Amino acid sequence: MIRTTCTTATAVALLAALTAGCGTTGMNPHGVNVTEMKADERGFVAGTGIESQDLVAVADKMARSILATTQIANAQGKPNIVLEPVVNETRFPINKEIFLTRIRVALNTKAGGKVTFLARDRMDALEKERDLKQTGKVTGGTPNAPVEFKGADFILTGKLQGISTRSNTGASDYVLYTFQLIDPRTSAILWEDFAEIKKQGQSDAVYR
Amino acid sequence: MNKVCQLVAVALFAVGCAAPEIKKAPVASNDLVAEGKKLIAAAPNRDKILWRYRVALVAMKSGRFAEARQLLDECLPTVGAILTADERTIKARSLFGNEAQKIYVGESYEQAMAYFYRGLLYWMDGEPDNARACFKSAQLIDGDAKDKSFASDFVLLDYLDGLATTKLLGDGGDMLRRARASAKTNALPDYVASANVLVFTQFGFGPLKYGGGKYGERLQYHAGYSPVFAARFKMGEQMVEAKALDDLTFQATTRGGRLMDDILADKGSLKKPLDAIATVAPLAGAVLAGPKETRGAALPLIGAGIAAGAVSNTAEAMADTRTWNNLPQHLAFAAFRLPPGPQVVAIEFLDRDGKPLPKLSRTLTFEVRADRDTVLFISDQ
Repeated sequence: MIRTTCTTATAVALLAALTAGCGTTGMNPHGVNVTEMKADERGFVAGTGIESQDLVAVADKMARSILATTQIANAQGKPNIVLEPVVNETRFPINKEIFLTRIRVALNTKAGGKVTFLARDRMDALEKERDLKQTGKVTGGTPNAPVEFKGADFILTGKLQGISTRSNTGASDYVLYTFQLIDPRTSAILWEDFAEIKKQGQSDAVYR
Repeated sequence: MNKVCQLVAVALFAVGCAAPEIKKAPVASNDLVAEGKKLIAAAPNRDKILWRYRVALVAMKSGRFAEARQLLDECLPTVGAILTADERTIKARSLFGNEAQKIYVGESYEQAMAYFYRGLLYWMDGEPDNARACFKSAQLIDGDAKDKSFASDFVLLDYLDGLATTKLLGDGGDMLRRARASAKTNALPDYVASANVLVFTQFGFGPLKYGGGKYGERLQYHAGYSPVFAARFKMGEQMVEAKALDDLTFQATTRGGRLMDDILADKGSLKKPLDAIATVAPLAGAVLAGPKETRGAALPLIGAGIAAGAVSNTAEAMADTRTWNNLPQHLAFAAFRLPPGPQVVAIEFLDRDGKPLPKLSRTLTFEVRADRDTVLFISDQ
């Protein structure tokens, strides 16, 4: 009788030990409610790519750096700046205008009118409006008026480059962000700064 | 009482005769993309990316590129993320969990193909640098093959990376050399930066997954198939041939070294002794139940056998065989220069010996854009 009880207990223990493996200590089994986050916060949906917190950090750093440069700080009058889309050489597809838009907004906010940005990306609409005015179809224009579109004193542009590695021990991405202020008359680079971000991570074993 | 009995009998008879409920077949249209979107909506969360992949490719074959773009954009943030442990992955790893419980993102070659198609669409939209980014990501995903000689060896991804770089006034030479090394005997033409019509072509049916081994624990592939090995494009006097550069069965079967394979093998090796106990223990118990002096040991043995059988039957060692099943077998590419405006191209698909397969021949009318490259996507299926 005692032997029977012991053997049954062993079988039950074996079963319990085996089933212990299927216990779930689930993380967010019912999902996560929509969470409003700051753009410079790292979210819970994360990769090793270019994310909003990188955009904010890099754009703010560049805006501060541009304002400190002598060409802007000691400029006579308000220099006109044209934005040229950044060159993306990383493995991450991005909206190429978003970095410059963020830098422009940061400069406009912090510079207190020290610089003027020219809306070259709106030239089609601007030319159409000018033509309407010059032909007298809308108010505000003078026929045969001289060109009033301003030329650029500086061109602000940048480049994103990356080094990526991936193996079964994880993924790693280094992205170098460089931005330049170029004199379009001389092609001289008047200001340049960079930011660099490296990220690495490893997915769960079931995805490797 | 008799009447009651009769009524009950009639009622029972009537119940037995009740006509089965006829469910109307769901209304299906000929719009495969719309039907596919219904399947995406109905699919469990863990399968949604799989269905989005499939429907995106259907949309591309139908020329509905905006929908394909949207579907792929819904997949790639997850595919590109670091996927950490959650309830599903813990279950998928556990003895009683099935690998297919995890969120499907696809094997390396499937993820690479999702990036490849997205890159194609970026190029179509006049964004060759973002296209190049996708080709780089795709090639990187293919980089964790166990045998490093098969790592990042898609010919077309390197070739297109270099072509995009050349078009963006960079030096694509390194990438061309890499592509040529992977292509081996398949001759790749030099880049022509002025080529403004890019033709992405695909042939045949891609590989399909199945579970090999005693418990289906080994992820294996049925090879894909294609009678087509090249395509020939005729535009006026110009004739260009696009030979198959990449073979998806080769890409699928040369990765190896999945960590999950080890987990599944462990599960399989645990099932084996349990199956043995489930077979032997009840027999031994039956034998021991005969003699009076061993009868006491019989019941626990039979019980242990039944328990082992139950545990083994509940244990899941089956590999995840969900497959992006409308991928092609071969990828090919050609680039040429045409003047802007409407153009007609005659397309012939060629077999292994270079003979045309007349049933597949077709003509395509398209508009060559003046402001950007014109990207064509052609599938024999």
